[in-house]
Amino acid sequence: MAKELTSKSYIDHHLTNLTCGKTESVGWTCDHNYYDEMGFMAFHVDSITISILLGFAFVALFKLIKLNPADQKPTRMQNFVEMCVEFVNENIKSIFGSTDNKLIGPLALTVLIWVFFMNLMDLIPVDFLPELTKQVSYASGIVDDPNDAYFKFVPTTDPNITLGMALGVFILTIFYSIKIKGFGGFIAELTLHPFGKFAIPFNFALEIMQLLAKPLSLGLRLFGNLYAGEMIFILIALLMFFQSAVFGVLGLGLHLLWALFHILVVSLQAFIFMVLTILYLSMAHETGDH
Amino acid sequence: MNINATLISQALIFAVFVYICYKYIWPPILSTMEERENKMAAGLEAAKQADDSLEEAKLTYEKELKEAKKEAASIVEKANNRSSQILNDAKAKAEVEAEKIIESGSKKLENETNKTREELKKQLSSIVVETASKIIDEEIDEKKHENIIKKAAEEI
Repeated sequence: MAKELTSKSYIDHHLTNLTCGKTESVGWTCDHNYYDEMGFMAFHVDSITISILLGFAFVALFKLIKLNPADQKPTRMQNFVEMCVEFVNENIKSIFGSTDNKLIGPLALTVLIWVFFMNLMDLIPVDFLPELTKQVSYASGIVDDPNDAYFKFVPTTDPNITLGMALGVFILTIFYSIKIKGFGGFIAELTLHPFGKFAIPFNFALEIMQLLAKPLSLGLRLFGNLYAGEMIFILIALLMFFQSAVFGVLGLGLHLLWALFHILVVSLQAFIFMVLTILYLSMAHETGDH
Repeated sequence: MNINATLISQALIFAVFVYICYKYIWPPILSTMEERENKMAAGLEAAKQADDSLEEAKLTYEKELKEAKKEAASIVEKANNRSSQILNDAKAKAEVEAEKIIESGSKKLENETNKTREELKKQLSSIVVETASKIIDEEIDEKKHENIIKKAAEEI
């Protein structure tokens, strides 16, 4: 029994993740009808799958290229890869100054390329892959109704993904804060300013907010930009409901325009995420008074 | 768009990929880049050194050329001096010689003249005596009239 396709159901379908989770009534399930029962123990299988695949794409791209030794002419892919590394290194240098932190480079590179790849999924025509998964899962008998087959293809439009990465960065900042300044130094930083030791609760309230705002804004910025971009694609796609050639062409043109503009957003947001990651880590390394 | 366990999973996946990058991707690329950078720096340094030594060689070459030219010029000048000196010496010697020759010639001439004159005087005196004796027909005692003869001879 196929549901009637309305603009609301169209948008809803595009914004719903393929979720598997544990329910009270039927145990582990991927059926969206039990979505509300899952609570926290639920996994957005689509976001996770795509992000892992893209992670491996990053690893493959950077690991499988042939690295010519230094006395030979570098291959083209090697040039590209080295350009990325150089770019990341330059950003680290300009933010950190010099550092002997060996993790920051790989971290920033991973963030840049991986987030860029995930954002790039946004440029695949908005109905292409969801429609494909609909038909495939319907034909293979996984779902009875193709409209029950949900699949979101842009991991960074899922706040779980962006906040998950931000959480990783947050843990690293705390780790380095404690490692560099010691536990006491970290606590002192949280409690002893801006107003000195007579206003510790107030200081703590301010500083903890500041501390938590960093990862939250980091994750939500990326999510917000990509979600909004995806939303615009979906809204433009709604023009098809008019069933008219004129609006079809208009929709194509608008999609193209928005996609062109979105190339900027896609790369810019990946870049910003990387820069902020480096920045937060460099702040964790800062010692001395503010 | 609920927050759920996806977030934790993603944080873990993130950690895994960062670790993979940290362990397997970053070091080889960076070491290749650093190695190449070092090699290029060394190459540039070598090129600079070669340039410097070329410059130095050029300078030495120019200096030596200059010196050689100077030396050649001084040799030529010395040779010129020497030759003119030899010429002058020869000239002076020749002049002295010529003078000597001339002098000795004139001395000889004088001697010859004197000798001839003496002889002529002697012959004259004898001629005078002979003539006088012929004239007076009488033998003149040469010894007696020596003074007269002498006077006569001197008057000639």
